[in-house]
Amino acid sequence: MTDRDTVVYVYGVVPASERPPAGLAGVGREGNPVRHVAAPKVAAIVSDVSRAPLGRGQDIRAHWRVLDDAVTRSAVLPLRFGTVMESDAAVRDDFLAPNEDRLTAQLAGLEGKVQLSVRGSYREEALLRDVVQSAPSVQRMRERTQKLPQEAAYYDMIRLGELVAAEIDRCREHDTGLVVERLAPLAVASHRDAHTTKESGVNVAFLVERSRVDAFAAAVQGLHAEFGDRIRLRCVGPLPPYSFADQIVGEAAWA
Amino acid sequence: MAVANAGSGYLQRPGGGGTLADVVDIILDKGLVIDAYVRVSLIGIEILTIDARIVIASVDTYLRFAEAVNRLDLQATDDSQGLPELMESVTSGGAKSKTQGALEGVKEKLFEGDDDEEEKEKEKSRPRRRSSRSRRKDDEE
Repeated sequence: MTDRDTVVYVYGVVPASERPPAGLAGVGREGNPVRHVAAPKVAAIVSDVSRAPLGRGQDIRAHWRVLDDAVTRSAVLPLRFGTVMESDAAVRDDFLAPNEDRLTAQLAGLEGKVQLSVRGSYREEALLRDVVQSAPSVQRMRERTQKLPQEAAYYDMIRLGELVAAEIDRCREHDTGLVVERLAPLAVASHRDAHTTKESGVNVAFLVERSRVDAFAAAVQGLHAEFGDRIRLRCVGPLPPYSFADQIVGEAAWA
Repeated sequence: MAVANAGSGYLQRPGGGGTLADVVDIILDKGLVIDAYVRVSLIGIEILTIDARIVIASVDTYLRFAEAVNRLDLQATDDSQGLPELMESVTSGGAKSKTQGALEGVKEKLFEGDDDEEEKEKEKSRPRRRSSRSRRKDDEE
């Protein structure tokens, strides 16, 4: 590990009692084997990578696969994609050792729980129909722009678009609120994740007891009926708790 | 557009039948962060640009919405046209959103590098959803 061209990619943290996975290839073009760097109470899941930029789809999938594998066996604390340290010694001495108690406590809190992500994509036409029908201001501006010749309507068109965008935000707020309200009772925690695409209407991560995963999925199915046409609701998981491991650890965070 | 099949099963495994876009959305910017003081950065530039994917409201966006609303036939009850088709018809209509374009550009880069065997296996049994640009790239190889 003293080779300066090779550094250590860190996927996540598991209890030290866990055994490293067998035959799992890590990120990077080499796909080096995944192994553990252990401190007394916790272990980091790592693999060696060369000092080359990461970020190909393949790398992202490898990161995903490794954590996906870990969560089938124990609690796992995922690290942010692309976390790399200089050596095994750095992983042990600069990351695990100084944070061991905290990492142990977080793992204990995640024991027996998984993330389920509820994602709803809007069907644009059905959404816009709902918007026009429920917002008189949009209706009025729509009629007005339809009467005007195209060039004359330019600024009114922008205004119409602004009104529609604001109504869509309200729909997002409403639909997300409904999802949280209905599903939170079945979960330990929820986290509203950012919308990453224009068609994203709902994007909420839930931390759920393993024993309640099926009940949770059934509840999502029930909700689907309530939303009607405008949203396509999906439940993705069980996942490692990506959205529930957001803290920063390290010297600066402790100071 | 990263819209996987709604299907009848409401629990989806993104590692299996799901899309890379799902995977990207679920893991990027998530998880424990180790203090920059003790870590090394190896992230490719394309991942950094994903941070800029916040949907920025622009005149283009507003015009696109306005056009879409104006072409709605409120009498019709059949709205079977899905979002992807609509997006396509709207963008080819001229009001192409620059932010959307930028976003797709970033994701496309990620897809292009996604050449693992598992993915290729899946592609065979599933309709291809990669962009024409990355498909062209494959053909050149």
